[in-house]
Amino acid sequence: MHHDFLDRYSRSEGPLQHISAAKKAVAAVGVILIILAVPIRSSWLFVPILAALIALVIMSRIPKLFFFKRLLLLEPFVVCVAILTLLQENGAVIFASIVTRSTLSLLTILLLTNTTPFAELLQVLKKYHFSPLFITVLALLYRYVFVLIDELERMQRARSSRMFRRKRMHVWGMFSSMIGQLFIRSSERAERIYAAMCARGWK
Amino acid sequence: MIPAVRIEKLDFSYADAKSVLGGITFSVSEGESFGVIGPNGAGKSTMLLHLNGILPEKQPSVPSIYIYGQPICEETLENIRRTVGVLFQNPDDQLFCPTVYEDVAFGPQQFGISNDAVKGIVADCLAKVGLSGFESRSPHHLSRGEKQRVCLAGVLACQPKILVLDEPTSDLDPRGKRDLIRLLKTIPATKIIASHDLELVFQLCTRTIVLDKGGVVAEGITRDILSNEALMLEHGLEKPHILLHSHPHTSA
Repeated sequence: MHHDFLDRYSRSEGPLQHISAAKKAVAAVGVILIILAVPIRSSWLFVPILAALIALVIMSRIPKLFFFKRLLLLEPFVVCVAILTLLQENGAVIFASIVTRSTLSLLTILLLTNTTPFAELLQVLKKYHFSPLFITVLALLYRYVFVLIDELERMQRARSSRMFRRKRMHVWGMFSSMIGQLFIRSSERAERIYAAMCARGWK
Repeated sequence: MIPAVRIEKLDFSYADAKSVLGGITFSVSEGESFGVIGPNGAGKSTMLLHLNGILPEKQPSVPSIYIYGQPICEETLENIRRTVGVLFQNPDDQLFCPTVYEDVAFGPQQFGISNDAVKGIVADCLAKVGLSGFESRSPHHLSRGEKQRVCLAGVLACQPKILVLDEPTSDLDPRGKRDLIRLLKTIPATKIIASHDLELVFQLCTRTIVLDKGGVVAEGITRDILSNEALMLEHGLEKPHILLHSHPHTSA
């Protein structure tokens, strides 16, 4: 997986990319609050919000298909959470409302993260006095999630090149042991990173 | 004159009770480049982690390591870490920030240096390692050689008097290795270099110790140690090619 999976187009050219990260972050939070505040009986309000977001997508000069694919990737999580509401009275309306709100919010966040480099977003959090520990955790996550995924891919490649049988049970067994291996390697790496941080004065 | 590093009877074992270091004793003078060689599992990296107090997790009541005469203990740890900079073996473990700038700035920021001064230090250190203009790059996307140089810039930014390097040339191609050797020669700090790369040790270090099974088995002038073929073979090493014939790029 490529290291810019989260903010692939953030350094591309476009009018939105030139706006400061702080302004965009505040605007995105504002838009999400509006999306959450729209009452169910005024659902028509989602239409102008969607129109505005689509206009921003066009302005960003990022391929529209990219946003669509990312939304498709995230939508199952939204549906999984929302599906429980179907069991209650008037569930269909609530389900539709949750799915719409979540989708619009996700689109807003996708717009923000793909027009702003992640490091700049972290600077915004620092500026607004978010907990330094929280920011460090996010920075480390951004830095290492791809290192770990690369490691998993290397392990998978090594496994495939020495795997001659393709029985499903066997594959699942191997996969679970690989996850275990990855966990051990990650915890060892975490110790080494912590040592490197301490060596440069981390307290 | 007080030695830059003095180690007296250093013992260490991990929690699984296997003894890794036993009775290590040596000292390094200020400005000296000191080599630590030995086979895999000899305890080189473990010993290096003691030099700035990363190991042991709890400092012992009777210290066995002195940096400029100052014992390593809980009270002196911050000062020791400012004095001793460590370059770790794997750059991915050492480059933990989202951008090159933040990574090089990490040390000075931790030591409470003002943001304006940090900017100057970062620019200066990146220039030293030949990576000016890399500030906003993501470490994940750099080549192995570039990562290693950013790591070195991050360590230099802490302005250490003693530079500890753990296998600095592992995974570097020959050109990357030559560049690193050239760069390290320009750094005036006291250097302690642990490596399997005996050509690197030969070119940089005046004195060398051989470590095996957690103990010092030989100590002396680098050329004498590396020329001793029987000693080298006995401890899983080889007389380096540079002592047998010279390349056009190394004889210059």
